[in-house]
Amino acid sequence: MNVPIQPPSAAETKACCAAAYGSDVVALLLGESYHPGGLGLTRRLADRLRLSGGDRVLDVASGRGASALLLSGEYDADVTGVDLSPTNIALANDAARSTGLADQTRFELGDAERLPVGDADFDAVVCECAFCTFPDKPTAAAELARVLRPGGRLGITDVTVDPTRLPPELSGLSGRIACVADARPLDEYTDILTGAGLTATRTERHDAAIAAMLDQIEARLMLVRMTARDQAEALGVDFDRAPTLIAAARAAIGDGVIGYALITAQKTV
Amino acid sequence: MIGAEPAPSPGPAPTGAVLRKQDRDEVFIEYTKSICPVCKVVVDGQVNIRDGKVYLRKRCRDHGVFEALVYGDAQMYLDSARFNKPGTIPLSFQTEVRDGCPSDCGLCPEHKQHACLGIIEVNTGCNLDCPICFADSGHQPDGYSITLEQCERMLDVFVESEGEAEVVMFSGGEPTIHKQILEFIDAAQARPIRSVNLNTNGLRLASDKAFVAALAQRNQPAWAVNIYLQFDGLEERTHREIRGRDLRAIKRRALDNCAEAGLTVTLVAAVERGVNDHELGAIIEYGLAHPAVRSVSFQPVTHSGRHVEFDPLTRLTNSDIIHAIAQQLPDWFQAKDFFPVPCCFPACRSITYLLSEGTPGTPEFTVVPIPRLLNVEDYLDYISNRVVPDLAVREALEKLWSASAFMGTDTTRDRLAQAAAALDCGDACGINLPEAVANLTDRAFMIVVQDFQDPYTLNVKQLMKCCVEEITPDGRLIPFCAYNSVGYREQVREHMSGVPVADVVPNALPLRPILTDSPYGSKIARNGHDGRSRSAADATNVGRRIR
Repeated sequence: MNVPIQPPSAAETKACCAAAYGSDVVALLLGESYHPGGLGLTRRLADRLRLSGGDRVLDVASGRGASALLLSGEYDADVTGVDLSPTNIALANDAARSTGLADQTRFELGDAERLPVGDADFDAVVCECAFCTFPDKPTAAAELARVLRPGGRLGITDVTVDPTRLPPELSGLSGRIACVADARPLDEYTDILTGAGLTATRTERHDAAIAAMLDQIEARLMLVRMTARDQAEALGVDFDRAPTLIAAARAAIGDGVIGYALITAQKTV
Repeated sequence: MIGAEPAPSPGPAPTGAVLRKQDRDEVFIEYTKSICPVCKVVVDGQVNIRDGKVYLRKRCRDHGVFEALVYGDAQMYLDSARFNKPGTIPLSFQTEVRDGCPSDCGLCPEHKQHACLGIIEVNTGCNLDCPICFADSGHQPDGYSITLEQCERMLDVFVESEGEAEVVMFSGGEPTIHKQILEFIDAAQARPIRSVNLNTNGLRLASDKAFVAALAQRNQPAWAVNIYLQFDGLEERTHREIRGRDLRAIKRRALDNCAEAGLTVTLVAAVERGVNDHELGAIIEYGLAHPAVRSVSFQPVTHSGRHVEFDPLTRLTNSDIIHAIAQQLPDWFQAKDFFPVPCCFPACRSITYLLSEGTPGTPEFTVVPIPRLLNVEDYLDYISNRVVPDLAVREALEKLWSASAFMGTDTTRDRLAQAAAALDCGDACGINLPEAVANLTDRAFMIVVQDFQDPYTLNVKQLMKCCVEEITPDGRLIPFCAYNSVGYREQVREHMSGVPVADVVPNALPLRPILTDSPYGSKIARNGHDGRSRSAADATNVGRRIR
């Protein structure tokens, strides 16, 4: 979220958050499969969506497959994961095989704005800590709606930000802060979903999850400093500024400026 | 009778007023069994939550009601229940089920876990006479020492039960004053036992460099010999109150000798409320700064054997220690950095690991608790997780969060490296973090918090899954907390020494009126209050019909 890196060059013009999330530094500090709340929040999302055996579920931005495998293994759902990274797809498919869940879990390369699946193919769609990174959110929301059957359910967990109250340390860097940069207030997410023909059925705050994520970022940052300081600095990590930024982010979380939310919605029948 | 049941009374109501029912001031959460701390008879127990704390209460027909604090943070206690894994069945049991737990130790076929750690007490004699000693050891003329043959038999029983055993710990008494201690270590190393721990007060390590060298010579890759050093704090008062003399210089010399010889040390602190519970942070800092030390183990004083008078309702528990560590070192720790150990009962032991760099006290010094780097609960919460992200990472974490985990063993080093696989940052970042962390494992540091049970706190529910066993000369594996609480220690000592040994009774404030001194400095019940039979059969709910 709050990555202390120096000003990027060409990345500036790209949709910042997607670029940042794909960047080396973010991968370094978050790991590629991390999402706030861990599997506990994934389980809660699945419960809120009332997933049950045989449900066809799409996991958008499925990473290395941990959530998808949980949904197939614990809820007996039939899960398709879509991710932008070929490495992740390969690792996720390996994990599905090694856990014996390959017959009901598969992973495919794909972009959230052009999902490689048919119309109305799914009973439910989940998208964890990824919607905020999609550069064109209305298009992504329309895609999520397209692949749901009428009455199908969408479950999102994501970073929320109140851009008007973001402290200067963070807003000044907003273009370079993963997730926070293009995250929206909770009601803006529900508006985007409504615009795509989805009706929000429930919203919950899970701000403790983002606080824990900040702890993890801080811990990984210290670890990187211990193990690979030179390499990390070459990637643009500024270890001297990090404590100030982390403190600012922690305060913003404490003030409710940055948070984490769970949203469920239903496709109009 | 020592105490009476706290009978909820509605109180007098004014004449003519409507009587109102009152609520109890506690939430009842468990029915279990325990023992009477005085006569050791098995009695019913109940666990209740009151004012956010967890208490065990029980009643003996002859001695009344007893209550003790067992967990200072009720929320943490309830949360810990998820960190419980299915037990492993040992290859052999040594006893049969006859009277039920805890009278059949052990291990009996009803026991829920194998022995992660086997303890061999080689003697009862000690070169110190500490005011606090759960083993009731000291300069005593009437104790016992085991022979090499007995030791070999005990090791064989352990191996028979475990196949390949993880760790054996030599303890006492003071094991380093046993003339054959090195032969005992050789005997352990001649068997499929991966590592040896020597539980010592450090006196001999401080003064006898040849002995330290002999230990170091036996400390080989894949056959580690590690030191478990009694170390309660850095203040003179702590030493005087817990050990009876100022041992600070001796401890320092023992540690320096170990460092010089390349021996890995765990600092083991017996922590008593109001004595050294303010020194937890200082002990961790001291350990991090000393080259020999790779872990610290904090143990609330076990109120078995010899100890100073205490109040069972305000005794220290695991959560008190964890909160105190977070409070004393707020820049490094949060309470949630500690996770319960799932191999034993999760309320018994919590562990965290950390990576550090630099010298404590300098600005560059950095500490990173490993649980902040990966979601430990995604792996060690066995109740919620039917699917885990990476089975190899779970396997590594369950070895690290176990009673057999000791720093300085190949197993622990390899498992730390394996757990680092969970720190993936993808190939993209150009830094192989898992590999970098694997190279850091020689800087990893472990902190263990373990509340052993005593006659006041014994809960059969926890005892049935205990994975730390005392190996007895007669070939039993007795759960450590049963050994110290139920009367087995006294039984074994009496049998081995030929001198009658009375059941030790906790030096608890409410018991003061009926206590007298034992010959070893512990307390026993005065005439008329003594136990009728040790390891007494269950006195309640034994199948009698009401008519």
